[in-house]
Amino acid sequence: MLMETSEIAPAETAGIAPGAPIVHGTNVGKTFAGGSVVALEGATFDIAKGEFVSLVGPSGCGKSTLLRLISGLIDLSSGQMSVHGDPVKGPRTDVGMMFQKATLLEWRTAIENVLLPTELNGTITAKDKRHAAELLELVGLKDFMFSYPSQLSGGMQQRVALARLLQTGADVLLLDEPFGALDEFTREHLNVELMRIVAEFGATTIFVTHNITEAIFLADRVGVMTPRPGRLAAMVPVNFPRPRELSLQTTPEFNVLVEQVRNTLGSH
Amino acid sequence: MAVTDQVAGEGGGKPLMSIGMRRMINHAAIFLTLIALWEFGSRIGWLDPLFYPRPTAILESFWRIYVTQANVWHHLYVSLGLVFIGFAAGSILGVGLGALVGFNPVVRRFLQPYVIVLEATPRIAVAPLLIAALGFGAPPKIAIIMLVCFFAPFINTLSGVVNVNEEKLELFRSMGASKMQTLRKLVLPEAVPVIMAGERLALTAALSGVLVAEFILRDQGIGALILTYTRNLNMASAFACIFTLTIIGFLIFKGMEVLDHRIAFWNHSDATDRMSEKRARAWGNLTGGRNV
Repeated sequence: MLMETSEIAPAETAGIAPGAPIVHGTNVGKTFAGGSVVALEGATFDIAKGEFVSLVGPSGCGKSTLLRLISGLIDLSSGQMSVHGDPVKGPRTDVGMMFQKATLLEWRTAIENVLLPTELNGTITAKDKRHAAELLELVGLKDFMFSYPSQLSGGMQQRVALARLLQTGADVLLLDEPFGALDEFTREHLNVELMRIVAEFGATTIFVTHNITEAIFLADRVGVMTPRPGRLAAMVPVNFPRPRELSLQTTPEFNVLVEQVRNTLGSH
Repeated sequence: MAVTDQVAGEGGGKPLMSIGMRRMINHAAIFLTLIALWEFGSRIGWLDPLFYPRPTAILESFWRIYVTQANVWHHLYVSLGLVFIGFAAGSILGVGLGALVGFNPVVRRFLQPYVIVLEATPRIAVAPLLIAALGFGAPPKIAIIMLVCFFAPFINTLSGVVNVNEEKLELFRSMGASKMQTLRKLVLPEAVPVIMAGERLALTAALSGVLVAEFILRDQGIGALILTYTRNLNMASAFACIFTLTIIGFLIFKGMEVLDHRIAFWNHSDATDRMSEKRARAWGNLTGGRNV
């Protein structure tokens, strides 16, 4: 809804989004092993408030590295990056992260897991508990609040992880292949719910995946990344109206975009 | 929540005897047959009654050492007291040092070769040295029990603390958890099941440890009692003492199992179900009457 154009522009210009940029990166680079391994090189981008950006690319393209750089879990080797205008120096409360594995604590019930971020920040009030319960209801786990992770399916565990992410109160959500370990049906279903939920929260979302269809279906823009060295090759705008249905994926317009992304990946 | 599951099981009618019950009866029958064979063999002279006393003689001895003479209580009290003290001290030391070494990579690197060497040495071999150094009475016995109790909790705590799930560590970092919070809310709880396994081994070792100490010192305790009875060729009473230890060993094993179900409940599905119901009751209603 923010953008009218649909042509693919080079990253240097298309990386700039309209509206207030929440996440901003200039020439972001990361090297490992004393500079001998270049994981990411020269990534420049702006992500607007409430925007949903997918990062797609093959293994080794630096998409997870970029996500970890934004989260502050790892430090930049070169360039600048800021969230809400403040340079990223380490993990922060306005940025939340979700991983491929649910990483729930097995000795805590679902709701106790959701309350973990609150607990790490201070004491839990009755209001926090109600909020956590509402979040579990939002992700469809109202009847499983007091279940332990071992009593939940993989999809349900990821729902708990999503509720926990929302409980952090972060308005920048970083998702690293959050449903990558789940079966196709569960994943599609959760993707639709994820879109509904982040829209409801007005959260700025960056979603890493290696699945092109998923990347386009979810996003306002798709960051296409290529390997060796990892680069942000292009930012592809996706202008389908929301809310989106799964049937969108079978339309010709959708497949044109899939082809464009595939070509961008292939030409590098 | 599990109402539907229960309904499915109904209406089938209960069999006359459960499988567990039938199995019990089979076991009892085999056990009684073996005991009868032993009794019979001993009576007609297949077994030398001097070394293999009749089961009935052992039962008589049980009666004597527990009721008429009632001398075993004191020895049991002494031995089990030492087991408890030595186990507590040894395993607390093991868990504490294991955690300390686990958290400290530098200390770990320097201690590793010594740990390997000490682990390869049978601990019991050191027992006479400890007695020589500490003299008579309780101190050398406690030292021996501590020694045999130390390693399993130490090694298990160490490995539990070192092998924390990397992704969970990253999660805690992304949520801005302090070192202390990560330790208390992630590393230690995650190590609990493996620590419990170490404690189980340690408690069994403690029972052997006290016997070895008493065999060497020969002053008092159930080990000394077994030694005395054996030297006086009162084998029936020695057997009664040994079977007493069997029962204690079994109770320890079961007790640790119950404790493990309580403390590391998330490793056992039945305990997890119970705990989940308990939590639901304790937390009560969080969504204004629509829940539960």
